[in-house]
Amino acid sequence: MTQAFLSIRKLHKAFGAFTAVHDVTLDIPKGEFLTFLGPSGSGKSTTLYAIAGFQDPTSGDVLLQDKSLLSVPSHKRNIGMVFQRYTLFPHLSVAENVAFPLRVRRRPEAEVKRKVADMLSLVRLENFAERLPAALSGGQQQRVALARALAYDPPILLMDEPLSALDKKLREEIQAEIRRIHRETGVTILYVTHDQEEALHLSDRIALFRDGRIEQIGTGEDLYLRPATDFVAGFIGNSNFLAAEHLETVDGAATVRLADGSLVSGINANGSFQRGQKTRLMIRPEAFRLDQGSNGAKLAVEIVDVAFYGERRRIVARTGAGQEIDIRPTSTALAAQDVASSHRPVFFDPGAAFLFPA
Amino acid sequence: MLLDYDRLGWLKVALLGFTTLVAAFLLLPVVFIVLLSFGSSRWLAFPPPGWTLKWYQELFADPSWIEAALTSARIATMTAILAVAIGLVASFALVRGQFRGREVLRGLLLTPMVLPVVVFAIAIYAFFLRLGLGGTTIGFVVAHTVLALPFAIIPIATALEGFDKSIEDAAIVCGASPLQAKLRITLPSIRIGIFSAAIFSFLASWDEVVVAIFMASPTLQTLPVKIWGSLRSDLTPVIAAASSLLVALTLALMIVTALLRRKLQT
Repeated sequence: MTQAFLSIRKLHKAFGAFTAVHDVTLDIPKGEFLTFLGPSGSGKSTTLYAIAGFQDPTSGDVLLQDKSLLSVPSHKRNIGMVFQRYTLFPHLSVAENVAFPLRVRRRPEAEVKRKVADMLSLVRLENFAERLPAALSGGQQQRVALARALAYDPPILLMDEPLSALDKKLREEIQAEIRRIHRETGVTILYVTHDQEEALHLSDRIALFRDGRIEQIGTGEDLYLRPATDFVAGFIGNSNFLAAEHLETVDGAATVRLADGSLVSGINANGSFQRGQKTRLMIRPEAFRLDQGSNGAKLAVEIVDVAFYGERRRIVARTGAGQEIDIRPTSTALAAQDVASSHRPVFFDPGAAFLFPA
Repeated sequence: MLLDYDRLGWLKVALLGFTTLVAAFLLLPVVFIVLLSFGSSRWLAFPPPGWTLKWYQELFADPSWIEAALTSARIATMTAILAVAIGLVASFALVRGQFRGREVLRGLLLTPMVLPVVVFAIAIYAFFLRLGLGGTTIGFVVAHTVLALPFAIIPIATALEGFDKSIEDAAIVCGASPLQAKLRITLPSIRIGIFSAAIFSFLASWDEVVVAIFMASPTLQTLPVKIWGSLRSDLTPVIAAASSLLVALTLALMIVTALLRRKLQT
């Protein structure tokens, strides 16, 4: 029927009156790194747990290579999983932790030994084989958990916010490890996180969850550059929303009137709008420039605050309508004293701005 | 901290004095008995006029004492095994279960700890008499298991509460059946609790006297019952020797527990 390796069909999960997952349908090709991104309670973890077999969906199906997984108990699904919390077996050494899935499968000792060595070198912890989990750092524990989850060559690896307990620097380090391991093993990964940077950094595609539904699915670029809804625009990256009145749309390019009365045309319209309809204009902070350039739309603002943030400046500005917006031009664009506390125009490319219903 | 020991000043001396007094109050009778067991006076005179080991010789020469000790050990061992087995299953239900009346069940299982032992003893005596279990090893073990159950459930349930269920789930995803995951991962992880439960329930039976008096028959006596009986018939220092040995074994078990706990925790 489909080419999909893993297929989620109209998955629905209700806890009493609360619907956690709302008819989610999703196809995942083999070898893909797909991230479920979303705020807590958006249904991303519940979907993952339904695939792992720890939650029975109310309706719908999960197919792996066209065979339903739902009637298969968790321990026979042959799925790898890394949990949010540290789940190494506390009484077993690192090597025995990695060996555990092979031992329950009664693999021959020689194969177990070889595989454990392979896996520990994959996560670069060869020298820690005899340690007990308590003697490892949080990051090392999660790497061992990753080695354990991959030891039996599962077709799919599920990861449920595996880095959320780690500090930022360590998180980035292990993200790089996960990318490398995905590249080297080619395993299909489903990754759950609420951290958009992590999702952008790791994934081939991102499914953005909201209230039990997938709001948008696509590459990080799709979600960032072509957000389907204002929720996506607000969740991925930073964004400013300006109140605007829609005037007309021609070939997907909209013209609006901003609250200060100025007109902007050539905006990406998401959906169709009526004349006079109240809308929200989304502009990324990075899309603002301090010089006009070619075809820049103009916005008159008063600079409230300027701060230096390395490669970019962060400027807080107030529009004529009194709304504060976030502007992040490159640091080289203008010296701080030139912009501080002054009335001036800022510019943006209307092609990088999006119109959403209010 | 407000009540930092190092900053208590003169109160430190008072606290130390009070603590010593309480400890002495608790320990003095035991020390007294141990000293008497080595004293040469037949009438348990204190201070002893001289020192001797003859009461211990008499104790070990009398097969009825040896038999009582062995009976105690046998009943306590069976009680420990039974209490740990039931305690384990009960703890899983109490900690993991999501059913109505869970708290009531927890209270019920822990009642033997607060119920006056003599009330329980009379009740179970009357009950076992009808069943024909009075004076039998099984009767002893069953009665002691009920008393020991709280001492088994508390450490096991505490250990299980401290064990993250995700670890068991991880074992299941790894391919272990739910039962395998419990046997190979969960039980070894809470072994300190299980071990404590075994020791405590052993001791709960080992030094239990009230229920044992009701359960005992002339042919089936535990060590505490034998001591109690001898105390009433003839007051001999052999009782002091037997009591000292009882205390010594209890103490030894507590020390072993403490050492093993320390070893297992590192």
